[in-house]
Amino acid sequence: MIAKFLLGVGLAIVMAVTGVSSYVYLGSRQSKVAAPPQKPTAATPRAQALTLPGTIYLAQAGALYSFSAGRFHQLTPEVGWTQPALYPDGSHLLVVKRSGFYSDVYVLTPYGGVVAQLTNNAASPRNAWDTGANAWSFYPRLSPDQRTLWMSYDGPKYAGAGYFDVDMAVWAVPLGAPIRNGRAWTVANNYTGGDIQPIVVPGGIIYTKYVYDQNGNRTGQLWFTNRAGSAGRALTSTDASCAQPSLSPDGGSLAMICTYQKQVSNLTIASWNGSSLGGLRTVVSDQLVAQPTWSPDGSGIAYLAPGGPAAPFQLWFLPKNAYNPPAPPPVPTPSPSPGGPHNGPLPSPTPTPAPVAPVVKPIQVTFNLGFDATSPLAWLG
Amino acid sequence: MTTITLAVLAVALSAVAGGFAYFLPAAATALQETGVPAVVPSPSPLATLFSPSPSASPSPVSQQGAFTVLLLGSDDDSKFSADHVLTQSMILVRVLPATKEVVMLSIPRDLYVHLSTGGSGKIDGAYSYGSAGAAIATVEQDFGVRVDDYIWVGLLGLIKVIDAIGGIDVVTSNPVMDDYYPSDIYGNSPYDYQRVAVLAGPQHLDGIHAMEYVRSRHSDLQSDYGRSKRQQQVLQAIRAKAKQLAPSDVPALATAIGGELKTSIGLDKVARLVPLAASFDNPDAIHQVLLLPPYARSGAPGGSLTPNWGLILPLVHQYFP
Repeated sequence: MIAKFLLGVGLAIVMAVTGVSSYVYLGSRQSKVAAPPQKPTAATPRAQALTLPGTIYLAQAGALYSFSAGRFHQLTPEVGWTQPALYPDGSHLLVVKRSGFYSDVYVLTPYGGVVAQLTNNAASPRNAWDTGANAWSFYPRLSPDQRTLWMSYDGPKYAGAGYFDVDMAVWAVPLGAPIRNGRAWTVANNYTGGDIQPIVVPGGIIYTKYVYDQNGNRTGQLWFTNRAGSAGRALTSTDASCAQPSLSPDGGSLAMICTYQKQVSNLTIASWNGSSLGGLRTVVSDQLVAQPTWSPDGSGIAYLAPGGPAAPFQLWFLPKNAYNPPAPPPVPTPSPSPGGPHNGPLPSPTPTPAPVAPVVKPIQVTFNLGFDATSPLAWLG
Repeated sequence: MTTITLAVLAVALSAVAGGFAYFLPAAATALQETGVPAVVPSPSPLATLFSPSPSASPSPVSQQGAFTVLLLGSDDDSKFSADHVLTQSMILVRVLPATKEVVMLSIPRDLYVHLSTGGSGKIDGAYSYGSAGAAIATVEQDFGVRVDDYIWVGLLGLIKVIDAIGGIDVVTSNPVMDDYYPSDIYGNSPYDYQRVAVLAGPQHLDGIHAMEYVRSRHSDLQSDYGRSKRQQQVLQAIRAKAKQLAPSDVPALATAIGGELKTSIGLDKVARLVPLAASFDNPDAIHQVLLLPPYARSGAPGGSLTPNWGLILPLVHQYFP
């Protein structure tokens, strides 16, 4: 009797354990697609497959991080910080702080301390009822002499409340001066989103201009201008749909993304001679590439791209050999054998197979971190 | 021997019970929200006017197993009562399993049409007058197509779906800027506005930002057409992400979207569609159709669009026989 009772109790326990185990097992078989990305600092220290030179500044979930020697450091809390850009002398950072209705440009130390607020884009209290009285500032850059702030800016809007067109133009503002001392350098096309991502190059700026093509599709083009108030001239076609320019350290090449008006984003390189762009060369075409940024030492290009199909964006690095392979060794030429004139035909050299250059692939630097792909990287050498 | 057999059966049963308990919330949600039939009124005489031309029919081989779904996306904030919402988005989807092709036709929400419930008006009002059945009947009678099933999702539902699958990757074609975007989902008043700036380029969007991307239309010369194009992009991104899901994700997904989605597609058909969707992996086999001018032009009453049926119907019947 007791034995049967014990057997029953045992069976009940086994059944309960089996049922719970079955439930837990199924729960453990969930895919990781909906798992939120880790904070970069939670992912370090870890054995990094690759240590990149210098320090890279990048944004995740409204916080700014630095990445050097394989470790991340959180520089700011998660309160809307994005789009870091370096002072040319590397002493400070320009960073955008984004709120619900506006965004402003700040100067930060390399350790995240706020030094100054450069713009003041919140609507004044008397206009607080009007959402359009606020303004956006994005993509800040500093001139080489560190005296002029370049940025994309959507104000001022003279049309007042109810005016629906919101376009950014590229502005130049004396560093630390109010926006009224600034000047719009470009004239945005209406209802396109405008002109963004200025980069300062010798003799002018290169920026992304959004236009309607002949089929009515909105698309990005790289433009160059050297005069305020002038759009300048297009460097790329509307069909290629290029954006996010980045100038190489030697000033001789541009990296960019080109989408060809599809849901793709290729890493593309072209030579730059100071006034015109060479042919576009696609170097990565099987990833959704964002924010290509040259290494200050010229060893490669970092960019953001999903870590897997339809996944959040990770940091990747493309070594220089992938887009600029070393020159092949010289082909051996026949040479007369020593010992005097040769009467017969010259011997042909032993054919040696040309060495096959190893395929250099992009290296995934981070995993499961989910960086802000609309935020350019800043790379300090 | 009998005792051992019974014990083994009991243990096996408990394992099944554990699995049943795991999928119970999903099953409850699925039973509640799938297989919701649409009461389609008898077709109006117009249906015969717009019957498809036999010569326009594609090859019967490609049509084997093909079916048409009407996707309906609605405002469902407190400006509206639950059963009387406008459909801001109406997309006819034709799925061709034989050729692994999909055709998505966006119907402009402002198209001025004969409504199945009587009279004429913007097509986005059809749902508000008679729920999914009226929307389906209106599309069937005006476009001369047969709709096999519908899927309705509210604003919050789309946000929840995208968040539940961990966000989507989209290449936004340009900065989408809007100073008067409705702040009607989480705000205090459904008539408030907020500013939106969805920046350009490849990015990972959560539900809220994906919604901003597909819903904003103020800063777009193409207005609702441009918005339709963005909606189709996001639908494809959702499909791409959904392919990464495992069956064990279904309960969490069902819990997340509970109450925000309705469909006439039954559970059995859903089970058959999931692997089918996964097999559609050629982006070039997804055809997007927009009814841009001259298919429709402005100037109809109340800011609506006048359809050019002479152009629309041959185009529609080319893809929706």
